[in-house]
Amino acid sequence: MTDQTTPLVRIEGLSKHFGETVALNNLTLDIARGEFVTFLGPSGCGKSTTLRILGGFERPTTGRVILDGEDVTNQPPEKRHVNMVFQDYALFPHMTVAQNVAFGLELKGMRKSEIQRRSAEIMSFLELESYATRYPAQLSGGQRQRVALARALAPDPALLLLDEPLGALDAKLRGQVQQELKSIQRRTHKTFFFVTHDQEEALTMSDRIVVMNKGKVEQDGTPEELYFRPASRFVAEFIGETNLLSGRMRGSDGDKIVMDWEGTTLLGKAPAGVPGEGQPITASVRLEKLGFSAERPQTANAVQGRVVAKTFLGSRMAMQIAVGENGALLKAYVDADTGQSLGSDPVWIGWEPDNMAVLND
Amino acid sequence: MNDRPEVFRGNRIFLACIYWAFVLYVFVPLILMVLMGFKDSNFIGFPIKSWTLDWYTGVFADAEVLSTFGYSVAIAVLSTLISIFVGTWIAVLLEGRKFWGRTLLFGLAVLPALVPGIISAIAFRIYARWLGIEPGMGAIVWAHAVHNVPFVVLVVMARLSTLPKSQIEAARDLGADPLISFIRVTLPYLVPAILGASIFCLLLSFDDFVRSFFLGGYEPTLPVLIFAKLRSGMSPEINAIATVALFLTAAIGIWAERFTRRMNKEN
Repeated sequence: MTDQTTPLVRIEGLSKHFGETVALNNLTLDIARGEFVTFLGPSGCGKSTTLRILGGFERPTTGRVILDGEDVTNQPPEKRHVNMVFQDYALFPHMTVAQNVAFGLELKGMRKSEIQRRSAEIMSFLELESYATRYPAQLSGGQRQRVALARALAPDPALLLLDEPLGALDAKLRGQVQQELKSIQRRTHKTFFFVTHDQEEALTMSDRIVVMNKGKVEQDGTPEELYFRPASRFVAEFIGETNLLSGRMRGSDGDKIVMDWEGTTLLGKAPAGVPGEGQPITASVRLEKLGFSAERPQTANAVQGRVVAKTFLGSRMAMQIAVGENGALLKAYVDADTGQSLGSDPVWIGWEPDNMAVLND
Repeated sequence: MNDRPEVFRGNRIFLACIYWAFVLYVFVPLILMVLMGFKDSNFIGFPIKSWTLDWYTGVFADAEVLSTFGYSVAIAVLSTLISIFVGTWIAVLLEGRKFWGRTLLFGLAVLPALVPGIISAIAFRIYARWLGIEPGMGAIVWAHAVHNVPFVVLVVMARLSTLPKSQIEAARDLGADPLISFIRVTLPYLVPAILGASIFCLLLSFDDFVRSFFLGGYEPTLPVLIFAKLRSGMSPEINAIATVALFLTAAIGIWAERFTRRMNKEN
């Protein structure tokens, strides 16, 4: 049953309706073994509903969940080989750290010596040994988060669900815990199903990101694919900062799209298929992909503009450039030296077609 | 507080006066009662010419008082155990669920606390006779338990409503079926509420006169005994009994209050 090539989780045509609202609309996808997959989206997009269905806390209206070849759609949470790190950690306040960690092992019916060995192992793995006898109320936010993780990992689940577990941590700690989580996932070879609305979190940790919107998948791919080749306007806007250029489709040139924008002809890529000719289209260029030069650059796309605003951000500067007759604004990040050298003279901005994604609205 | 406008100053003095008047109103009778217990005379009243501890030594030597005290405590403990069991059960059934008739069930569960004591006592007496239950300990325990259930329901429901849903979900997620997650997660969470409600029930039962009077057999509870002694004339002995009872219940009440507050803070 543990055939390494079959996906660990198969989600087949999953839908969930809460009265009139459709929380999840016909979701179908596979999750591979050992994958760190993140469901990313705004609140109400269906990411948490998917997680709760996987955990067994909600029954889908239609569809099936196959875990390790077994249909678990109607199994209660206690029967599933799945554990969860809750958003509020849900540590048991009347139990010590060690008792919390041992809880799942006890209910598996393990022998006492085995429980002790396994909890000691997982607590040392997560550097919690010195807190073993403390109660959750005596721990900091980051420590609680680690205890929640230890408790969920202890029963050795096939799939670990994480419900926005970093939301309660302050920004500085969050970055550190992101690295930690990723390294824990690598070292345990566990399959992580992570849910968040924070795009930065998703980009740093995931092998694969599924962007959800209104109960449906907007895009499913690696962080790089999503960032540089967003398939829709929603994804481009949701992940990172971007310039959206509204123009008109002119045709295609090999694998490239030709479009008109502010009186210039631009070349781009269309990850999600070629739109019809003459249609209004939108293209996305990331802020850091725009290059500045005094002379017309060699790049396939080049426009001339004037710097209208600069913001000093320390290691880099944020620029605003007015382009074309209508003064369409482009935003860009440049290193601080380049930023300071740019004055009020007209400046050329260039970028390659590979860095411009033509989107479906 | 200091930056409040001057206008409120008069108001504040007025409120302070009312507060202290209220404190005096509550405590002066108690202080008088305690003082009279130390009076070396057979009659209650001022002036107190000489003092004695005889009434107290008398109380602790009086077999009738001691056995009555034990009887009252036994009734309080038994009725509390029943109230806690039934009340917690009802609270768990009602809290956080939506079903047809929930409001009605809640109303019925809370009703016994609202019925005037004398009416419920008479009703119990009639019902007990109809069922063939003899007046005595069983009948008193039963009446006290029914009267106290609503307090348990209210206190436990209030606590239960603050239990995060994720606690139960976490227990289920880690392999506990609904019963085990209730025993290992919900029940420990309810402990402060259950302890608080227990103390309250114990004190209510210990203090009850009307139900104990109507449903009692030949053996009196402590309040009934005090009442019986009063009928044969006011004597400082009664003050001594009452003072002991007062300090005991007050001590338990204060300890329980502090204890539950500490437990709530820890959670």
